[in-house]
Amino acid sequence: MGSKAWLVEDESAREMLDRVLTERPFLLLPPLHRVPLRVGNIVEIVGPSPSAKTHILIQAAITCILPRQWKGVNYGGLGHLAMFLDLDCRFDISRFSDLLNHRIMEAANGSSSEVDCQIKESEAQNATTKPYNEELFASCMRRFLYIRCYDSSEFLATLKTLHYRLQKERETHGVNVHVLLIDSIGAFHWIDRGSSSFSLEGDTRKSLHLQSVTETVVQEIRKLLLVHPMLVMATKAAVLGNRYSMNDSKRNYRTWSAKDNLHSRNVTSSDQQVPYREYMPAVWQSLITHRILVRTTDADFVNGEHQNVSTYLSEWLLPPLNSVDKFIVRDTGVFVLS
Amino acid sequence: MAPLKNLETEYPIIDSNFQNFCASHGIFSVEDFLIHDLYMLAAFAEQNVSSERLKEGITQILSIIDDMHQPWLNGMELLEDAKRNKHFLPTGIQGVDLLLGGGIRVGQLTELVGPSASGKTQVCLQTASNVARNYMMLYLDTGNSFSPQRIAYFLGKTNELASAQAKNQILQKVMSNILCHSVFDIFAMFDVLHQLESNLRCQERGGGCRIRLLIVDSISLLIAPVLGGTSTRGRALMASAGYLLKKLAHQHNLAVLVINHTVGSEGGTSKPALGDSWKSIPHSRLLLSCDRGSNVYNVSILKHPSMKNLRSKQGPS
Repeated sequence: MGSKAWLVEDESAREMLDRVLTERPFLLLPPLHRVPLRVGNIVEIVGPSPSAKTHILIQAAITCILPRQWKGVNYGGLGHLAMFLDLDCRFDISRFSDLLNHRIMEAANGSSSEVDCQIKESEAQNATTKPYNEELFASCMRRFLYIRCYDSSEFLATLKTLHYRLQKERETHGVNVHVLLIDSIGAFHWIDRGSSSFSLEGDTRKSLHLQSVTETVVQEIRKLLLVHPMLVMATKAAVLGNRYSMNDSKRNYRTWSAKDNLHSRNVTSSDQQVPYREYMPAVWQSLITHRILVRTTDADFVNGEHQNVSTYLSEWLLPPLNSVDKFIVRDTGVFVLS
Repeated sequence: MAPLKNLETEYPIIDSNFQNFCASHGIFSVEDFLIHDLYMLAAFAEQNVSSERLKEGITQILSIIDDMHQPWLNGMELLEDAKRNKHFLPTGIQGVDLLLGGGIRVGQLTELVGPSASGKTQVCLQTASNVARNYMMLYLDTGNSFSPQRIAYFLGKTNELASAQAKNQILQKVMSNILCHSVFDIFAMFDVLHQLESNLRCQERGGGCRIRLLIVDSISLLIAPVLGGTSTRGRALMASAGYLLKKLAHQHNLAVLVINHTVGSEGGTSKPALGDSWKSIPHSRLLLSCDRGSNVYNVSILKHPSMKNLRSKQGPS
């Protein structure tokens, strides 16, 4: 009798699809909207500095921490936690809170039937100074978890203890962490390359240089994703190749010694090839599942009265889509133009 | 990179048995744990005789590692800290203050780029004179460009209506609030900054008048000699300097202003020095230029956390 219980079905395929799509929904985040992303994907956002890469991460975090619905207003978020690993140490929380506040206001203004007219009027008066809805704002901000890392040791220490931290946050908040944002992954590249890689006590001892650090980072992320499925998004500052800008990247190609070729590939820019110089070791490149390139253009977009906002271009490299999207960064977040 | 046996007194679980077990896997210090797979290590510990104690030791090491990183904060706590500590320090120069939204931001690294003789040092001196009325500041001078006479001049200009005695008092206060160090290479700067860090950490417990502004005029003169060539150590030094400045700014609530010069690029235009690796280190970058004919100074934004782009303000000096 007991063995026959194995053959009874748990759920039909349709039920399973419904369940998976609710628990692990696809995210369509502008300007990454052409490729739906879900947990288990590891996205790399490459671009020169500055090119709105951090804003894309902030956009993802806000979409994650906003609730789906709150007091009758539809916010379209996930209501989960977002974790931000700041390796660049340049994150501006005031900018983040402004963007969150504008998103909340925009969503509240957008839904006409549920919102009281009186609330709309009073809200228009204290638009910029107070958060539109303090309670919602505070609960969203508490779902945003942030840490800074000033060097590779701190980054590795964070990753090693992240498993316990994720469990603890799940107990405190009752929801999972849905996105893990890393800004930016190549931050300690030069410092790690500069640290000596001599080996002590024979060959059994590893030291903290670029290859071992990157291998450990990749290993820890893979293990974490097995137990805590999350969407990982990492930015990477890169120097664009010849197709996009004439700079001294050509000179840097020739001065690299043969030893460096173990760590990175010099990808030349033919028309369909990757148009930037890759410097992350191959073990990191094998981890990522998606890659998008963003850069600025010289064209300005006239946004409102007399404010020229710079336009950015985004292009998917992995999966390679032959289309280029234009987007700008507004107060409410990233806005796709074309 | 202290060896494991130094931890034995504080954590008796890390006894010689545990140390030998770790040594057999090539682990001799806590930093080595960072690049080893701890789950594999626990699996090896299972096969050992004293597996329970070894696994307790690994758990103890994990809690030590937990102290090695910065604390986790949530958005509300970050915002509280920003509102309470991370103010704007007005420079006294209208154009710059307008562009930056109030002045140089505490907790951030602001860079001022400009060709030679475009007024970068003047901006520094005026900022110094303005901030030193209320706070202490540290001026790292790399090219003997610090001039007390100029500071007195700026103070005199803004206090024209005050009495001679009041003027003198302000002058005394400002001069005693400015600490000026001459540094001529990057290692001297690291020395001064590490000394500053330990002083600030002591002061945190004791109170007292604290430094609020750090000016490095100019950081490019310190970094440019070590950059270039095939060695990567120059860039590593540059990145470490950037991180040290950002750490000081954030943890001890300083505003940091660094000066960079420009170099020529293709097409005859000029671009900021120190290359692409430096580009992503400062929070905000301002470009200063001077039109010699009309004596008008022009400031524009190259980069800012709010992505306001290329707005520029003009004005006579």
